[in-house]
Amino acid sequence: MRLSLRIACLVIALPPLAIVIWLFFIPFLSSAHLSLVREDQWSLRNYYLVWRLYRYDILYTLWIAFFSLVAVLVFAVFLCGYLRIHTNRAVEFLFKIPLFIPFVVVGHAMRVLLAPKGTLNAILSQVGLININDPPSIAFGWMGIAVSLIWKNLALAVLLVLGAYRSVDETFLEAARNFGASAFRQIKDILLPMSRASLAVAGAFMFTSMLASFSVPLMIGSGEPPQMVMIDVYYRINYQGDYGTANALGVISYLLAMGVAGYYLRTISQKGT
Amino acid sequence: MTVGPNGGGRAGVPVGWRTLRMGGVVLAAVVIFGPLSSLVIWSVAEKWYWPHLFPQQVGLFYWAKVLQGDMLRALQDGFLIAVVVTILTLLITVPLAYVLARLPIPLKPLILMIFLLPQAFPQLPVFVNSTTLLYRVNLGGKFWGVVLIHMVGALVFAVWTMTAVFRSVPEALEEAAINLGASRLKSFFSVALPLATPGIIASTLLVFLYSLDEFTGTLLVGSPFILTLPVFMYRTSVGYELQVASISALMLMVPGILLLVLLERYMKSEYLSMFGRV
Repeated sequence: MRLSLRIACLVIALPPLAIVIWLFFIPFLSSAHLSLVREDQWSLRNYYLVWRLYRYDILYTLWIAFFSLVAVLVFAVFLCGYLRIHTNRAVEFLFKIPLFIPFVVVGHAMRVLLAPKGTLNAILSQVGLININDPPSIAFGWMGIAVSLIWKNLALAVLLVLGAYRSVDETFLEAARNFGASAFRQIKDILLPMSRASLAVAGAFMFTSMLASFSVPLMIGSGEPPQMVMIDVYYRINYQGDYGTANALGVISYLLAMGVAGYYLRTISQKGT
Repeated sequence: MTVGPNGGGRAGVPVGWRTLRMGGVVLAAVVIFGPLSSLVIWSVAEKWYWPHLFPQQVGLFYWAKVLQGDMLRALQDGFLIAVVVTILTLLITVPLAYVLARLPIPLKPLILMIFLLPQAFPQLPVFVNSTTLLYRVNLGGKFWGVVLIHMVGALVFAVWTMTAVFRSVPEALEEAAINLGASRLKSFFSVALPLATPGIIASTLLVFLYSLDEFTGTLLVGSPFILTLPVFMYRTSVGYELQVASISALMLMVPGILLLVLLERYMKSEYLSMFGRV
């Protein structure tokens, strides 16, 4: 390349790179640094505090993410199977809607729907399914968070899984149908195995985003332990100003995300061979 | 859809089959619109005593109230921020995406990797430290601080989608222009850019919607001085101003739904999947 072109490239690349490095890469590294400092000295006390105060919250977060992921994937696998075999444009369109609804709105909608005095309980009490004086609270607990995350991620899962199913050649399905395979068998024996890699990628991606979800548990959470990890980070800083412990929790969340990313990269490389 | 001769007994009962299809559509509509419908009811509920199924008094009182108050300011601020973020992101990303797609620049994988980071790791713990950095240069709680924190996420979407867009423009067309004596700059403006325009528009809308809906960064950097609609809605919702929060939530849904309807025909599903991350 000519020198003038090189300089032009540098000038072009610099501003966007500077923003991401300044406001993401450096703060990311400083998480690791701050998590190892307590009262201006190197120490592991922050991690000890995380272990003492937040180990159940980490498990709680993993449980919610895992439960939601399994629910989303099971649902998407069969719904997309149906949509792949019998095209249904209306249903396909409806399931795209949550993609365009922000997480905060989902959080608020579920809060209104699932609270003890929410719309769902009002409907259920009309048919006499619940006791009005002691209404169950689905919001303000792990189920409320899980339902919200499932609802929001369903759209993404349907989009990705359906994309993978559509790339499976029609002739395979026709052959199976000619041998009398039911829709269930076509999904289980053809569509699912042939799009396993895409499913793993979609799953890894959604799992990380569920681990890191902040606005949904912030709106639906009960304010009492157990909490999801992101809420712990936020409260630790907002109410205690304790950056050390908050960043230690942050580093643990990065490690969890990296574990998932490692799985993702391994699946991608296997797909290549 | 045609079903072969061995396609199962269901094909013989088209009426039952059609009913089943309709049932599927109704079920999907309930799953999708159910949670959203209570927002609509709450936004017009002036009096609603539990456990009645519908409000006792319905009216537009809260709509009128909201359209004069703080919400309008949050709406204006959020809109202005989104416009500024979109313009700045577009200006600095289009040239970079072209360079990444076409020229053999050094460290390309590393650059792409850096633009992947904000998607791969949880945002909140990082943004907590970004907020400290922004306060250090006196941008915390300021308009431009919020713009910058939005641009971190916006750049990721923009760089990846626009690089893909420029890659999809056939290189041979540009080579032809260059062989005929056009400069790199000329071939960019008269060949690559016009062909990439539809993809760039899709990517721009994505960035705009991202900024409009961004919550975490705005809450950390802007609060309590700069409020956008998502943060305003969060505050009213946890403060049990359910009518005001529901109206804000409905307003927040409008741009996304408009975009979905508008772009359903034009947009490839690769771009569509990016929207789920907002």
